Amino acid sequence: MASNKQRPAKLSVYLYIPNIVVSTFGAVLDMVTDRVSTACLLVILSQIYRPSLVFLSLLALDIASHWLQMYSTFLSGKTSHRDVKDSTSWLFRLYYGNRMFMGYCCVSCEVLYIILFLIAENHTENLMNVVVESLTQFSPLSLLLASSIFGWSIKQIINVIQMKTAADVCVLYDIEKQHKP
Amino acid sequence: MGCEKVLSFSSVQVKSLKIVKMGKKEERARAEKLSVYLYIPNIVGYMRVVLNCVAFAVCFSNKTLFSLLYFFSFCCDAVDGWCARRFNQVSTFGAVLDMVTDRVSTACLLVILSQVYRPSLVFLSLLALDIASHWLQMYSTFLAGKSSHKDVKDSTSWLFRLYYGNRIFMCYCCVSCEVLYIILLLIANNQTENLLNVVVSTLTQISPLSFLLALTLCGWSMKQTINIIQMKTAADVCVLYDIEKQQHKP
Repeated sequence: MASNKQRPAKLSVYLYIPNIVVSTFGAVLDMVTDRVSTACLLVILSQIYRPSLVFLSLLALDIASHWLQMYSTFLSGKTSHRDVKDSTSWLFRLYYGNRMFMGYCCVSCEVLYIILFLIAENHTENLMNVVVESLTQFSPLSLLLASSIFGWSIKQIINVIQMKTAADVCVLYDIEKQHKP
Repeated sequence: MGCEKVLSFSSVQVKSLKIVKMGKKEERARAEKLSVYLYIPNIVGYMRVVLNCVAFAVCFSNKTLFSLLYFFSFCCDAVDGWCARRFNQVSTFGAVLDMVTDRVSTACLLVILSQVYRPSLVFLSLLALDIASHWLQMYSTFLAGKSSHKDVKDSTSWLFRLYYGNRIFMCYCCVSCEVLYIILLLIANNQTENLLNVVVSTLTQISPLSFLLALTLCGWSMKQTINIIQMKTAADVCVLYDIEKQQHKP
């Protein structure tokens, strides 16, 4: 009886359009789609450009930092990893305190990857050459490229800081558990 | 006047004592944190990360060395779990480090394979499935409050029950995936090979390698099936969590 009631309720959550009503499943779907789409784009870029180790490392950093962030968010009981209020790093505070700045950094990453994909002409191009050439052209594209590289670099630095912060949360969680009788 | 001076002096003393105590407390907290980072299983974890970095740095120039380093790092996965239990140094950080290292190393290997074989969409899809299923698993584990996603006891699918009920079977499936990917990397001769041709020609050779390949393909396919089932199960947990929250609202 209970399972009959639950099935239509479950289905209705799956069919929220487009999950405007805040739901856990919607948030997870969102997160997973972001991670997988960025990962796949980085894979494509690693096939087009040399050295492919660059994009391999970016993939590793993306997965590791977001995974650790999510874990630490759960451990500290916050609703969203974007609600981090306490931190010592000024960059951290700027990133999480200012939604526009956060938006700029995140969008820059995706735009940079798409630009790199679009300006590639042949297979196995040297990444450094292509980037330097496009920057020295002094066209609107150069400006866009420079702007997105800037935002992208800040996002990657945030990712690295985030890994350290999240690791600390994991460790402190265990220590606090030990201190409790 | 004199009393006030004495009071203010002692309040300064109390304040400075408090500062000294806080300083000592901070020092103790920092030392405790450091001790967790230096747990033996966590050091094994750092070694795994270094091994993987070196492995992927040489993966294009020396496939054999890459395979040895990668497989050795995979074996260390079992070692650090054993160390944690043996030395009573189980830590949340260690579990997360383990998980993240697994995910990232498998992802990087799939990226390499997507460069070596055509169609690369196959390995792109496997990467997507690996990330998505493990992410959803972990999220649903937290929501359901279980200690580890490997402790799932309740499920309707027989394959699910077999996988989580029998550690040896689970191990066989997981090891098969990694061994299959390593074999595929080692048997590739040129760049951009047709995946199906290579697999079929190796299987029809009827050699020890064919047997190993067939065995790992079997375990790998079961693991991927489990991944898909897991995604559906985990998504259901997320949805039920919201429904239960709504029902408990006054």
